[in-house]
Amino acid sequence: MDLKFLASDRVEAFVSHLMQQKTVYAPQHTGKHSVALEKVDDPAAVILDYGRTMQSVKKFFLPPRDELLSFDLTDHSFTPAAVEPLDAILLGIHSYDRAAIDRLDYNFSQGHPEKNYLTRREGVVWVGVSFEPDEFHFSGSVGISPHETAGFDAFLTRVREGYLVEVLTDAGRELVSGFELPPAERPKPAPGHFHQHIFLPQAKLNEVMAASYNNEIWAEMAEKCVGCGSCNIVCPTCYCFNVEENVDITVTGGTRERIWDGCMLREFTEVAGGEVFRGGLAERQRHRVMRKFKYLSDKTGHPWCVGCGRCTAYCTAGISIVSIVNRCVSDFEERHTTAM
Amino acid sequence: MAAKPRVAFFDFTGCEGCELNQLNFENQLLDMLEHVDIVEWREAMDDRPGEYDIAFVEGSLSTPDCIKRINDIRRRAKVLVAVGACAVQGGINGMKNTRPIEEVREEVYGKDKYLFPTLPALPLSAVVKVDVNVRGCPMTQLEFLKVFTALVMGKQPVEPNSAVCVECKLKENECVYEKGMICLGPVTRGGCDAHCPSFGQYCTGCRGLVPEPNLKAMEEILVKHGLSVNEAWKRLHLYNSHELEGLKS
Repeated sequence: MDLKFLASDRVEAFVSHLMQQKTVYAPQHTGKHSVALEKVDDPAAVILDYGRTMQSVKKFFLPPRDELLSFDLTDHSFTPAAVEPLDAILLGIHSYDRAAIDRLDYNFSQGHPEKNYLTRREGVVWVGVSFEPDEFHFSGSVGISPHETAGFDAFLTRVREGYLVEVLTDAGRELVSGFELPPAERPKPAPGHFHQHIFLPQAKLNEVMAASYNNEIWAEMAEKCVGCGSCNIVCPTCYCFNVEENVDITVTGGTRERIWDGCMLREFTEVAGGEVFRGGLAERQRHRVMRKFKYLSDKTGHPWCVGCGRCTAYCTAGISIVSIVNRCVSDFEERHTTAM
Repeated sequence: MAAKPRVAFFDFTGCEGCELNQLNFENQLLDMLEHVDIVEWREAMDDRPGEYDIAFVEGSLSTPDCIKRINDIRRRAKVLVAVGACAVQGGINGMKNTRPIEEVREEVYGKDKYLFPTLPALPLSAVVKVDVNVRGCPMTQLEFLKVFTALVMGKQPVEPNSAVCVECKLKENECVYEKGMICLGPVTRGGCDAHCPSFGQYCTGCRGLVPEPNLKAMEEILVKHGLSVNEAWKRLHLYNSHELEGLKS
Protein backbone atom coordinates (compact mmCIF):
# COMPACT_ATOMS: atom_id res chain seq x y z
CA MET A 1 0.00 0.00 0.00
CA ASP A 2 1.53 3.28 -1.00
CA LEU A 3 0.78 6.16 1.28
CA LYS A 4 0.49 9.65 -0.15
CA PHE A 5 0.44 13.06 1.49
CA LEU A 6 -2.12 15.85 1.21
CA ALA A 7 -0.89 19.07 2.76
CA SER A 8 -3.48 21.15 4.72
CA ASP A 9 -3.17 24.06 2.29
CA ARG A 10 -4.11 21.77 -0.64
CA VAL A 11 -7.31 20.33 0.87
CA GLU A 12 -9.46 22.94 -0.88
CA ALA A 13 -7.87 22.13 -4.24
CA PHE A 14 -8.43 18.43 -3.55
CA VAL A 15 -12.12 19.04 -2.84
CA SER A 16 -12.39 21.04 -6.09
CA HIS A 17 -10.78 18.14 -7.91
CA LEU A 18 -13.44 15.81 -6.53
CA MET A 19 -16.22 18.26 -7.38
CA GLN A 20 -15.23 18.09 -11.05
CA GLN A 21 -16.03 14.39 -11.05
CA LYS A 22 -19.29 14.00 -9.16
CA THR A 23 -21.51 15.79 -6.67
CA VAL A 24 -19.69 15.87 -3.33
CA TYR A 25 -21.32 15.67 0.10
CA ALA A 26 -19.09 16.52 3.05
CA PRO A 27 -19.23 17.84 6.63
CA GLN A 28 -19.94 21.57 6.87
CA HIS A 29 -20.94 23.89 9.70
CA THR A 30 -24.71 24.37 10.06
CA GLY A 31 -24.40 26.30 13.32
CA LYS A 32 -21.73 27.39 15.72
CA HIS A 33 -21.61 23.98 17.40
CA SER A 34 -23.02 21.72 14.72
CA VAL A 35 -21.71 20.02 11.63
CA ALA A 36 -23.82 18.26 9.01
CA LEU A 37 -23.17 16.34 5.82
CA GLU A 38 -24.31 18.68 3.06
CA LYS A 39 -23.81 19.10 -0.67
CA VAL A 40 -20.58 20.99 -1.28
CA ASP A 41 -20.87 24.25 -3.22
CA ASP A 42 -17.82 25.96 -1.75
CA PRO A 43 -14.71 23.78 -1.23
CA ALA A 44 -13.56 26.13 1.54
CA ALA A 45 -16.64 25.25 3.61
CA VAL A 46 -15.66 21.59 4.00
CA ILE A 47 -14.56 20.57 7.51
CA LEU A 48 -12.57 17.36 7.79
CA ASP A 49 -11.69 17.74 11.47
CA TYR A 50 -14.96 17.36 13.37
CA GLY A 51 -16.49 15.43 16.25
CA ARG A 52 -19.70 14.10 14.76
CA THR A 53 -22.57 15.13 12.52
CA MET A 54 -26.05 15.00 14.06
CA GLN A 55 -27.27 12.74 11.25
CA SER A 56 -25.12 10.07 9.66
CA VAL A 57 -24.79 9.24 5.93
CA LYS A 58 -27.90 7.10 6.41
CA LYS A 59 -29.97 10.18 5.54
CA PHE A 60 -28.92 9.98 1.90
CA PHE A 61 -30.15 6.41 1.43
CA LEU A 62 -33.07 6.45 3.84
CA PRO A 63 -34.22 10.10 3.91
CA PRO A 64 -35.98 11.29 7.09
CA ARG A 65 -39.08 11.93 4.99
CA ASP A 66 -39.33 9.88 1.84
CA GLU A 67 -42.19 10.08 -0.63
CA LEU A 68 -43.09 6.54 -1.64
CA LEU A 69 -45.86 7.29 -4.10
CA SER A 70 -48.44 9.83 -5.15
CA PHE A 71 -52.08 8.90 -5.70
CA ASP A 72 -55.03 10.30 -7.59
CA LEU A 73 -58.40 9.96 -5.88
CA THR A 74 -60.41 10.78 -9.01
CA ASP A 75 -59.32 7.68 -10.94
CA HIS A 76 -57.81 5.66 -8.04
CA SER A 77 -54.40 5.44 -9.69
CA PHE A 78 -50.98 5.81 -8.15
CA THR A 79 -47.44 6.55 -9.31
CA PRO A 80 -44.42 5.28 -7.38
CA ALA A 81 -41.94 8.06 -6.59
CA ALA A 82 -38.86 8.13 -8.82
CA VAL A 83 -35.79 6.93 -6.93
CA GLU A 84 -32.31 7.63 -8.32
CA PRO A 85 -28.90 6.28 -7.28
CA LEU A 86 -27.10 8.84 -5.12
CA ASP A 87 -24.13 8.64 -7.51
CA ALA A 88 -21.94 10.98 -5.49
CA ILE A 89 -18.72 11.24 -3.55
CA LEU A 90 -19.18 11.06 0.22
CA LEU A 91 -16.18 12.85 1.65
CA GLY A 92 -15.00 13.04 5.24
CA ILE A 93 -16.94 10.07 6.60
CA HIS A 94 -15.91 8.52 9.92
CA SER A 95 -15.30 4.76 10.10
CA TYR A 96 -18.24 4.09 12.44
CA ASP A 97 -20.67 5.67 9.98
CA ARG A 98 -19.31 3.52 7.15
CA ALA A 99 -19.71 0.47 9.41
CA ALA A 100 -23.31 1.51 10.13
CA ILE A 101 -24.05 1.39 6.40
CA ASP A 102 -22.81 -2.23 6.26
CA ARG A 103 -25.39 -3.03 8.90
CA LEU A 104 -28.19 -1.19 7.11
CA ASP A 105 -27.21 -2.94 3.85
CA TYR A 106 -27.85 -6.21 5.68
CA ASN A 107 -31.19 -4.97 7.09
CA PHE A 108 -32.49 -3.74 3.77
CA SER A 109 -31.35 -6.67 1.62
CA GLN A 110 -32.68 -9.47 3.88
CA GLY A 111 -35.98 -11.08 2.94
CA HIS A 112 -37.79 -8.73 0.60
CA PRO A 113 -35.02 -6.36 -0.59
CA GLU A 114 -35.91 -2.71 -0.06
CA LYS A 115 -35.68 -1.08 -3.45
CA ASN A 116 -35.56 2.60 -2.51
CA TYR A 117 -32.64 2.18 -0.10
CA LEU A 118 -30.71 -0.20 -2.34
CA THR A 119 -31.18 1.98 -5.43
CA ARG A 120 -29.92 5.10 -3.66
CA ARG A 121 -26.91 3.16 -2.34
CA GLU A 122 -25.54 2.77 -5.89
CA GLY A 123 -22.76 4.84 -7.39
CA VAL A 124 -21.25 6.10 -4.14
CA VAL A 125 -17.53 6.71 -3.82
CA TRP A 126 -16.48 6.69 -0.17
CA VAL A 127 -13.68 8.90 1.12
CA GLY A 128 -13.12 8.37 4.84
CA VAL A 129 -11.33 10.52 7.36
CA SER A 130 -9.84 9.56 10.73
CA PHE A 131 -11.27 11.07 13.90
CA GLU A 132 -9.94 11.96 17.32
CA PRO A 133 -12.18 10.22 19.89
CA ASP A 134 -14.03 12.73 22.08
CA GLU A 135 -15.88 12.20 25.38
CA PHE A 136 -18.70 10.28 23.64
CA HIS A 137 -17.04 8.07 20.98
CA PHE A 138 -16.60 4.39 21.90
CA SER A 139 -16.42 2.66 18.53
CA GLY A 140 -13.18 0.97 19.63
CA SER A 141 -15.29 -1.15 22.02
CA VAL A 142 -17.32 -2.49 19.08
CA GLY A 143 -14.25 -3.19 16.95
CA ILE A 144 -14.15 -0.02 14.86
CA SER A 145 -10.87 1.91 14.96
CA PRO A 146 -10.74 5.63 14.10
CA HIS A 147 -8.40 4.49 11.30
CA GLU A 148 -10.55 1.60 10.04
CA THR A 149 -10.55 1.71 6.22
CA ALA A 150 -13.04 -1.12 5.49
CA GLY A 151 -15.63 -0.05 2.94
CA PHE A 152 -13.81 3.09 1.84
CA ASP A 153 -12.37 3.78 -1.62
CA ALA A 154 -9.88 6.23 -0.19
CA PHE A 155 -9.02 7.21 3.37
CA LEU A 156 -7.49 10.31 4.88
CA THR A 157 -5.61 10.05 8.16
CA ARG A 158 -5.06 13.32 9.94
CA VAL A 159 -1.49 14.22 10.82
CA ARG A 160 -0.14 17.54 12.02
CA GLU A 161 0.58 19.08 8.62
CA GLY A 162 -2.31 17.60 6.66
CA TYR A 163 -3.58 14.14 5.74
CA LEU A 164 -2.03 10.83 4.76
CA VAL A 165 -3.97 9.47 1.78
CA GLU A 166 -4.60 5.75 1.27
CA VAL A 167 -6.05 4.74 -2.07
CA LEU A 168 -7.90 1.49 -1.49
CA THR A 169 -9.90 0.60 -4.62
CA ASP A 170 -10.02 1.23 -8.36
CA ALA A 171 -12.72 3.83 -7.75
CA GLY A 172 -10.37 5.51 -5.28
CA ARG A 173 -7.52 5.46 -7.79
CA GLU A 174 -9.74 7.08 -10.40
CA LEU A 175 -10.78 9.70 -7.87
CA VAL A 176 -7.24 10.94 -7.16
CA SER A 177 -5.83 10.46 -10.67
CA GLY A 178 -4.81 13.78 -12.16
CA PHE A 179 -4.24 15.28 -8.69
CA GLU A 180 -0.58 15.40 -7.75
CA LEU A 181 0.01 13.76 -4.36
CA PRO A 182 3.61 13.29 -3.17
CA PRO A 183 4.49 10.08 -1.28
CA ALA A 184 4.12 10.36 2.48
CA GLU A 185 7.35 10.76 4.37
CA ARG A 186 6.15 8.91 7.45
CA PRO A 187 3.97 5.90 8.25
CA LYS A 188 0.37 6.07 9.49
CA PRO A 189 0.41 7.14 13.14
CA ALA A 190 -1.34 5.19 15.90
CA PRO A 191 -5.06 6.07 16.26
CA GLY A 192 -6.21 8.26 19.13
CA HIS A 193 -7.29 6.73 22.43
CA PHE A 194 -10.93 6.36 23.40
CA HIS A 195 -12.24 7.89 26.63
CA GLN A 196 -15.31 5.62 26.74
CA HIS A 197 -15.21 1.83 26.83
CA ILE A 198 -17.65 -1.04 27.04
CA PHE A 199 -16.01 -3.65 29.30
CA LEU A 200 -16.80 -6.77 27.24
CA PRO A 201 -16.70 -7.81 23.56
CA GLN A 202 -19.99 -8.66 21.83
CA ALA A 203 -19.35 -12.43 22.00
CA LYS A 204 -19.79 -12.19 25.78
CA LEU A 205 -22.34 -9.35 25.76
CA ASN A 206 -24.99 -11.63 24.22
CA GLU A 207 -24.99 -13.69 27.41
CA VAL A 208 -24.87 -10.62 29.66
CA MET A 209 -27.74 -8.88 27.90
CA ALA A 210 -29.82 -12.07 27.94
CA ALA A 211 -29.44 -12.07 31.73
CA SER A 212 -30.22 -8.33 32.03
CA TYR A 213 -33.86 -8.37 31.03
CA ASN A 214 -34.99 -7.73 34.60
CA ASN A 215 -32.11 -5.47 35.62
CA GLU A 216 -33.12 -2.46 37.73
CA ILE A 217 -31.21 -0.17 35.38
CA TRP A 218 -34.22 0.07 33.03
CA ALA A 219 -36.47 1.50 35.74
CA GLU A 220 -33.68 3.80 36.93
CA MET A 221 -33.18 5.18 33.41
CA ALA A 222 -36.94 5.63 33.02
CA GLU A 223 -36.79 8.13 35.88
CA LYS A 224 -34.28 10.29 34.00
CA CYS A 225 -35.70 9.86 30.50
CA VAL A 226 -38.39 12.14 29.00
CA GLY A 227 -38.99 9.83 26.03
CA CYS A 228 -38.25 12.48 23.42
CA GLY A 229 -36.85 9.87 21.03
CA SER A 230 -33.75 11.86 20.06
CA CYS A 231 -31.53 8.81 20.71
CA ASN A 232 -33.42 6.85 18.04
CA ILE A 233 -33.61 9.64 15.52
CA VAL A 234 -29.85 10.36 15.56
CA CYS A 235 -28.79 6.68 15.58
CA PRO A 236 -26.99 5.60 12.38
CA THR A 237 -28.28 2.01 12.64
CA CYS A 238 -31.91 2.72 13.58
CA TYR A 239 -34.06 2.12 10.54
CA CYS A 240 -37.66 1.99 11.74
CA PHE A 241 -40.17 4.17 9.97
CA ASN A 242 -43.83 5.05 9.97
CA VAL A 243 -45.95 5.48 6.84
CA GLU A 244 -48.29 8.46 6.52
CA GLU A 245 -50.69 9.51 3.81
CA ASN A 246 -51.46 13.15 3.17
CA VAL A 247 -54.33 14.30 0.98
CA ASP A 248 -53.96 17.76 -0.51
CA ILE A 249 -56.50 20.49 0.03
CA THR A 250 -58.28 19.90 -3.29
CA VAL A 251 -59.12 16.38 -2.01
CA THR A 252 -58.29 14.96 -5.44
CA GLY A 253 -54.94 13.39 -4.65
CA GLY A 254 -52.01 13.19 -2.30
CA THR A 255 -48.83 11.40 -1.32
CA ARG A 256 -47.72 8.49 0.81
CA GLU A 257 -44.56 9.22 2.80
CA ARG A 258 -42.40 7.26 5.15
CA ILE A 259 -40.95 9.09 8.11
CA TRP A 260 -38.32 7.88 10.58
CA ASP A 261 -39.83 6.47 13.73
CA GLY A 262 -38.26 5.29 16.99
CA CYS A 263 -38.91 2.65 19.63
CA MET A 264 -38.53 5.22 22.44
CA LEU A 265 -41.68 6.97 21.21
CA ARG A 266 -44.96 6.05 22.82
CA GLU A 267 -46.99 5.69 19.62
CA PHE A 268 -44.38 3.33 18.14
CA THR A 269 -46.11 0.35 19.71
CA GLU A 270 -49.62 1.78 19.70
CA VAL A 271 -52.06 -0.36 17.73
CA ALA A 272 -55.67 -0.06 16.66
CA GLY A 273 -57.89 0.32 19.69
CA GLY A 274 -55.31 2.36 21.56
CA GLU A 275 -53.35 -0.52 23.15
CA VAL A 276 -49.65 0.37 23.71
CA PHE A 277 -47.39 -2.66 23.98
CA ARG A 278 -44.41 -0.90 25.53
CA GLY A 279 -46.20 1.77 27.50
CA GLY A 280 -43.44 2.46 30.02
CA LEU A 281 -40.14 4.22 29.42
CA ALA A 282 -38.29 1.36 31.15
CA GLU A 283 -39.55 -1.21 28.64
CA ARG A 284 -38.78 1.14 25.78
CA GLN A 285 -35.23 1.85 26.99
CA ARG A 286 -34.62 -1.87 27.41
CA HIS A 287 -35.88 -2.54 23.92
CA ARG A 288 -33.63 0.15 22.41
CA VAL A 289 -30.49 -1.21 24.08
CA MET A 290 -31.39 -4.85 23.36
CA ARG A 291 -31.84 -3.99 19.68
CA LYS A 292 -28.26 -2.73 19.63
CA PHE A 293 -26.54 -5.37 21.78
CA LYS A 294 -28.68 -8.49 21.71
CA TYR A 295 -31.54 -9.06 19.28
CA LEU A 296 -29.67 -8.34 16.03
CA SER A 297 -26.38 -9.50 17.51
CA ASP A 298 -27.82 -12.96 18.27
CA LYS A 299 -28.68 -13.19 14.61
CA THR A 300 -25.54 -11.75 13.03
CA GLY A 301 -22.78 -11.98 15.64
CA HIS A 302 -22.21 -8.22 15.48
CA PRO A 303 -23.39 -5.46 17.78
CA TRP A 304 -25.87 -3.20 15.99
CA CYS A 305 -24.23 -0.23 17.71
CA VAL A 306 -21.20 1.36 16.04
CA GLY A 307 -20.02 3.48 18.97
CA CYS A 308 -20.58 6.90 17.41
CA GLY A 309 -21.83 8.27 20.73
CA ARG A 310 -24.70 10.24 19.14
CA CYS A 311 -27.48 8.89 21.40
CA THR A 312 -25.51 10.02 24.43
CA ALA A 313 -24.19 13.29 22.98
CA TYR A 314 -27.70 14.45 21.99
CA CYS A 315 -29.51 13.25 25.13
CA THR A 316 -30.52 16.32 27.10
CA ALA A 317 -31.12 14.06 30.13
CA GLY A 318 -27.54 12.78 29.98
CA ILE A 319 -28.37 9.07 29.58
CA SER A 320 -25.32 7.10 28.41
CA ILE A 321 -25.67 3.83 26.50
CA VAL A 322 -22.11 2.91 27.54
CA SER A 323 -23.01 3.29 31.22
CA ILE A 324 -26.17 1.20 30.75
CA VAL A 325 -24.29 -1.66 29.08
CA ASN A 326 -21.43 -1.52 31.60
CA ARG A 327 -23.91 -1.61 34.46
CA CYS A 328 -25.43 -4.76 32.95
CA VAL A 329 -21.91 -6.22 32.69
CA SER A 330 -20.91 -5.38 36.27
CA ASP A 331 -24.22 -6.63 37.70
CA PHE A 332 -23.81 -9.85 35.72
CA GLU A 333 -20.25 -10.35 36.94
CA GLU A 334 -21.20 -9.61 40.51
CA ARG A 335 -23.96 -12.20 40.44
CA HIS A 336 -21.62 -14.66 38.78
CA THR A 337 -18.89 -14.15 41.41
CA THR A 338 -21.36 -14.34 44.31
CA ALA A 339 -22.73 -17.60 42.93
CA MET A 340 -19.26 -19.12 43.01
CA MET B 1 -72.57 14.27 -4.37
CA ALA B 2 -73.97 14.81 -0.90
CA ALA B 3 -74.50 18.34 0.41
CA LYS B 4 -71.36 20.10 1.54
CA PRO B 5 -70.56 19.94 5.26
CA ARG B 6 -71.81 23.02 7.13
CA VAL B 7 -68.90 24.58 8.96
CA ALA B 8 -68.93 27.20 11.71
CA PHE B 9 -66.22 29.08 13.58
CA PHE B 10 -66.50 30.27 17.18
CA ASP B 11 -64.27 32.08 19.62
CA PHE B 12 -64.02 32.29 23.39
CA THR B 13 -61.29 33.78 25.60
CA GLY B 14 -58.25 34.29 23.43
CA CYS B 15 -56.55 36.72 21.11
CA GLU B 16 -58.27 35.57 17.89
CA GLY B 17 -54.82 34.86 16.47
CA CYS B 18 -55.93 31.37 15.46
CA GLU B 19 -58.83 32.77 13.47
CA LEU B 20 -56.53 35.28 11.82
CA ASN B 21 -54.35 32.33 10.91
CA GLN B 22 -57.40 30.68 9.32
CA LEU B 23 -58.16 33.81 7.31
CA ASN B 24 -54.50 33.79 6.29
CA PHE B 25 -54.98 30.65 4.18
CA GLU B 26 -54.92 32.85 1.11
CA ASN B 27 -53.67 30.13 -1.22
CA GLN B 28 -56.05 27.47 0.06
CA LEU B 29 -59.26 29.33 1.00
CA LEU B 30 -60.92 28.97 -2.39
CA ASP B 31 -60.12 25.24 -2.52
CA MET B 32 -61.48 24.87 0.99
CA LEU B 33 -64.71 26.60 0.07
CA GLU B 34 -65.21 24.04 -2.74
CA HIS B 35 -65.75 21.41 -0.05
CA VAL B 36 -67.67 23.17 2.71
CA ASP B 37 -70.29 25.83 3.33
CA ILE B 38 -69.25 28.27 6.01
CA VAL B 39 -72.47 29.07 7.85
CA GLU B 40 -71.30 31.05 10.88
CA TRP B 41 -68.15 33.00 11.58
CA ARG B 42 -68.25 36.12 13.73
CA GLU B 43 -64.77 37.20 12.65
CA ALA B 44 -65.81 37.04 8.97
CA MET B 45 -69.64 37.21 8.64
CA ASP B 46 -72.90 37.90 10.53
CA ASP B 47 -75.37 35.04 9.75
CA ARG B 48 -76.65 32.57 12.41
CA PRO B 49 -78.03 29.16 11.40
CA GLY B 50 -79.08 26.17 13.53
CA GLU B 51 -76.81 23.17 13.07
CA TYR B 52 -73.26 22.45 12.03
CA ASP B 53 -71.40 19.45 10.70
CA ILE B 54 -68.09 20.84 11.91
CA ALA B 55 -67.55 23.53 14.56
CA PHE B 56 -64.06 25.01 14.88
CA VAL B 57 -63.73 26.61 18.30
CA GLU B 58 -61.00 28.97 19.47
CA GLY B 59 -60.30 30.26 22.98
CA SER B 60 -60.57 28.99 26.54
CA LEU B 61 -63.66 29.06 28.75
CA SER B 62 -63.39 31.67 31.49
CA THR B 63 -66.89 32.94 32.37
CA PRO B 64 -70.21 31.28 33.22
CA ASP B 65 -71.51 32.59 29.88
CA CYS B 66 -68.72 30.70 28.05
CA ILE B 67 -69.94 27.45 29.62
CA LYS B 68 -73.50 28.09 28.43
CA ARG B 69 -72.35 28.92 24.90
CA ILE B 70 -70.00 25.94 24.51
CA ASN B 71 -72.75 23.57 25.65
CA ASP B 72 -75.03 25.12 23.07
CA ILE B 73 -72.41 24.76 20.31
CA ARG B 74 -71.74 21.17 21.31
CA ARG B 75 -75.44 20.32 21.09
CA ARG B 76 -75.62 21.72 17.57
CA ALA B 77 -72.32 20.39 16.18
CA LYS B 78 -71.68 16.88 14.86
CA VAL B 79 -67.90 17.32 15.09
CA LEU B 80 -66.31 19.78 17.50
CA VAL B 81 -62.71 20.83 16.84
CA ALA B 82 -60.70 22.68 19.50
CA VAL B 83 -58.40 25.14 17.72
CA GLY B 84 -55.25 26.51 19.32
CA ALA B 85 -53.57 26.34 22.72
CA CYS B 86 -56.37 28.19 24.61
CA ALA B 87 -59.09 25.84 23.40
CA VAL B 88 -57.02 22.66 23.58
CA GLN B 89 -55.21 23.02 26.91
CA GLY B 90 -56.34 26.35 28.40
CA GLY B 91 -53.33 28.14 26.97
CA ILE B 92 -51.58 31.09 28.52
CA ASN B 93 -54.92 32.21 29.99
CA GLY B 94 -54.45 29.29 32.34
CA MET B 95 -51.62 31.09 34.11
CA LYS B 96 -54.27 32.81 36.22
CA ASN B 97 -55.32 29.39 37.53
CA THR B 98 -52.20 29.29 39.69
CA ARG B 99 -53.59 32.16 41.83
CA PRO B 100 -56.81 32.51 43.86
CA ILE B 101 -59.59 33.52 41.45
CA GLU B 102 -60.81 36.42 43.64
CA GLU B 103 -57.35 37.97 43.68
CA VAL B 104 -57.12 37.81 39.86
CA ARG B 105 -60.61 39.27 39.48
CA GLU B 106 -59.82 42.19 41.75
CA GLU B 107 -56.53 42.88 39.97
CA VAL B 108 -58.21 43.09 36.56
CA TYR B 109 -61.56 44.73 37.36
CA GLY B 110 -60.84 46.57 40.59
CA LYS B 111 -63.93 47.91 42.34
CA ASP B 112 -66.18 46.76 39.47
CA LYS B 113 -65.23 43.13 39.96
CA TYR B 114 -68.81 42.16 40.98
CA LEU B 115 -69.99 43.03 37.46
CA PHE B 116 -67.66 40.44 35.89
CA PRO B 117 -68.08 36.86 37.03
CA THR B 118 -64.98 34.85 36.14
CA LEU B 119 -63.77 31.25 36.32
CA PRO B 120 -60.37 29.58 36.11
CA ALA B 121 -59.50 29.35 32.37
CA LEU B 122 -60.59 25.95 31.10
CA PRO B 123 -59.87 24.03 27.93
CA LEU B 124 -63.01 23.07 26.00
CA SER B 125 -62.48 19.43 26.93
CA ALA B 126 -63.01 20.27 30.62
CA VAL B 127 -66.67 21.03 29.82
CA VAL B 128 -67.70 19.27 26.60
CA LYS B 129 -66.50 16.34 24.50
CA VAL B 130 -63.90 17.49 21.97
CA ASP B 131 -63.53 15.32 18.86
CA VAL B 132 -60.35 16.72 17.35
CA ASN B 133 -57.54 19.06 18.46
CA VAL B 134 -55.59 21.49 16.31
CA ARG B 135 -52.77 22.62 18.56
CA GLY B 136 -50.36 25.55 18.68
CA CYS B 137 -50.23 29.24 19.58
CA PRO B 138 -51.37 30.37 17.16
CA MET B 139 -52.79 27.13 15.74
CA THR B 140 -50.42 25.26 13.43
CA GLN B 141 -51.62 25.92 9.88
CA LEU B 142 -50.21 22.67 8.53
CA GLU B 143 -52.15 20.71 11.14
CA PHE B 144 -55.36 22.64 10.49
CA LEU B 145 -55.18 21.73 6.79
CA LYS B 146 -54.60 18.05 7.63
CA VAL B 147 -57.55 18.05 10.03
CA PHE B 148 -59.73 19.92 7.54
CA THR B 149 -59.07 17.47 4.69
CA ALA B 150 -59.51 14.45 6.94
CA LEU B 151 -62.89 15.72 8.19
CA VAL B 152 -64.07 16.62 4.67
CA MET B 153 -63.22 13.04 3.67
CA GLY B 154 -65.05 11.70 6.71
CA LYS B 155 -61.90 10.34 8.37
CA GLN B 156 -60.62 10.69 11.92
CA PRO B 157 -57.50 12.92 11.85
CA VAL B 158 -54.33 11.53 13.43
CA GLU B 159 -53.08 13.65 16.35
CA PRO B 160 -49.29 13.86 16.61
CA ASN B 161 -48.02 12.93 20.08
CA SER B 162 -44.22 12.67 19.78
CA ALA B 163 -41.95 15.41 21.12
CA VAL B 164 -40.76 18.43 19.15
CA CYS B 165 -37.22 16.94 19.46
CA VAL B 166 -38.13 14.35 16.83
CA GLU B 167 -38.91 17.02 14.26
CA CYS B 168 -35.77 19.02 15.11
CA LYS B 169 -33.63 15.92 14.68
CA LEU B 170 -35.35 15.02 11.39
CA LYS B 171 -34.44 18.48 10.11
CA GLU B 172 -30.97 18.31 11.67
CA ASN B 173 -31.53 21.58 13.51
CA GLU B 174 -28.72 22.50 15.86
CA CYS B 175 -30.02 21.52 19.29
CA VAL B 176 -31.31 24.58 21.16
CA TYR B 177 -29.51 23.34 24.31
CA GLU B 178 -26.23 23.27 22.36
CA LYS B 179 -26.74 26.97 21.70
CA GLY B 180 -26.97 27.54 25.43
CA MET B 181 -30.73 28.21 25.46
CA ILE B 182 -33.54 26.49 27.36
CA CYS B 183 -36.13 24.57 25.34
CA LEU B 184 -39.34 22.70 26.19
CA GLY B 185 -39.10 20.59 23.03
CA PRO B 186 -38.33 17.35 24.91
CA VAL B 187 -41.79 17.24 26.57
CA THR B 188 -43.84 19.26 24.07
CA ARG B 189 -45.96 17.66 21.38
CA GLY B 190 -44.62 18.02 17.86
CA GLY B 191 -46.69 18.45 14.73
CA CYS B 192 -45.43 22.00 14.15
CA ASP B 193 -42.39 20.79 12.16
CA ALA B 194 -40.28 22.31 14.98
CA HIS B 195 -41.20 25.75 13.68
CA CYS B 196 -39.65 27.90 16.43
CA PRO B 197 -36.30 26.06 16.82
CA SER B 198 -35.99 26.03 13.01
CA PHE B 199 -36.01 29.84 13.06
CA GLY B 200 -33.52 30.38 15.86
CA GLN B 201 -36.01 30.39 18.73
CA TYR B 202 -36.65 27.87 21.52
CA CYS B 203 -39.79 25.85 22.13
CA THR B 204 -42.11 27.52 24.64
CA GLY B 205 -44.39 24.50 24.78
CA CYS B 206 -47.41 25.99 23.00
CA ARG B 207 -48.63 22.66 21.63
CA GLY B 208 -49.04 21.19 25.08
CA LEU B 209 -47.35 18.33 26.92
CA VAL B 210 -46.75 14.92 25.36
CA PRO B 211 -48.98 12.15 26.79
CA GLU B 212 -47.73 10.87 30.18
CA PRO B 213 -44.94 13.47 30.40
CA ASN B 214 -42.01 12.72 32.72
CA LEU B 215 -42.04 16.12 34.40
CA LYS B 216 -39.62 15.25 37.17
CA ALA B 217 -37.01 14.34 34.52
CA MET B 218 -37.81 17.52 32.57
CA GLU B 219 -37.32 19.57 35.73
CA GLU B 220 -33.90 17.94 36.14
CA ILE B 221 -32.95 18.78 32.55
CA LEU B 222 -33.99 22.42 32.99
CA VAL B 223 -32.14 22.72 36.30
CA LYS B 224 -29.05 21.04 34.84
CA HIS B 225 -29.07 23.71 32.12
CA GLY B 226 -29.17 26.61 34.53
CA LEU B 227 -32.74 27.30 35.69
CA SER B 228 -33.81 27.23 39.32
CA VAL B 229 -36.56 24.73 40.19
CA ASN B 230 -39.00 27.62 40.48
CA GLU B 231 -38.06 29.03 37.05
CA ALA B 232 -38.29 25.56 35.52
CA TRP B 233 -41.89 25.13 36.66
CA LYS B 234 -42.80 28.66 35.56
CA ARG B 235 -41.62 27.79 32.06
CA LEU B 236 -43.64 24.60 32.08
CA HIS B 237 -46.72 26.47 33.32
CA LEU B 238 -46.75 29.02 30.50
CA TYR B 239 -49.03 26.94 28.28
CA ASN B 240 -49.83 24.04 30.58
CA SER B 241 -51.23 25.53 33.79
CA HIS B 242 -54.56 23.75 33.52
CA GLU B 243 -52.95 20.32 33.14
CA LEU B 244 -50.24 20.95 35.75
CA GLU B 245 -52.68 22.32 38.33
CA GLY B 246 -54.78 19.20 37.70
CA LEU B 247 -51.78 16.93 38.32
CA LYS B 248 -51.08 18.71 41.60
CA SER B 249 -54.51 18.08 43.08
